Amino acid sequence: MAVHEDGRASGKRFHEDDDDMPIFNAENLQSNMKSIYYSRTFLSIIGGVVAGIWGFTGLMGFIFYFLIMAIASLGFAAKAKFSIQKYFDSWNRIVVDGFLGGLMSFVLFWTYPFIRVESLCFYICL
Amino acid sequence: MGVGFVVGVFGGLVLAHAAYSTIQYRGMLKIVEEEFSGPPMNVVVELLLGLALCTWAGLAVPAKFLSILPDSDENRIVYLPANLDFMIFNHRGKILPTNTELKFKI
Repeated sequence: MAVHEDGRASGKRFHEDDDDMPIFNAENLQSNMKSIYYSRTFLSIIGGVVAGIWGFTGLMGFIFYFLIMAIASLGFAAKAKFSIQKYFDSWNRIVVDGFLGGLMSFVLFWTYPFIRVESLCFYICL
Repeated sequence: MGVGFVVGVFGGLVLAHAAYSTIQYRGMLKIVEEEFSGPPMNVVVELLLGLALCTWAGLAVPAKFLSILPDSDENRIVYLPANLDFMIFNHRGKILPTNTELKFKI
């Protein structure tokens, strides 16, 4: 029993050492991040256009954005053939990164039709 | 790259057509003085189709993921210099006695 516990402890220590010094190809990680960033920005714009045409208002649009981002994260996982550790150093890279930046693009393209319609009404009233 | 790009452009065209249909639909609603509650069915189908095509294109067009593990197969490329003909393995050090310590001992 004591020997068994000892073995487990040493194994744990080994893993901690692994965590302390992660070795990976930073250049390839940068390339992967850039790829994800492009995909997310493009999907945000497309999602914004769709939400704008569909006529979502208020909270519904933001729920739609969350849906788009969830689909995007799933797509990234599928693109990495579900072996995330091989291409990224953590799950946050494909789930969280670029979320807020994409939100800006989304809101811009989502509200663009409203702006047009509103200003059109404004000019007509004038 | 090529196929994904074409699919993306096609998806964009589908979305553009959906937008045009929606503008016309809204104009018609304005004439009959009704409120806009949602786009008609064919526009919804077009939107979903365009969204699916653009999602696929957006995932496929950017660069493929590269492995970050140092010991994976893709990262183990050994580069050989281009001027292999000029590599020299025979040099004057070859005729020197290799076992120098033996000489010093004598």
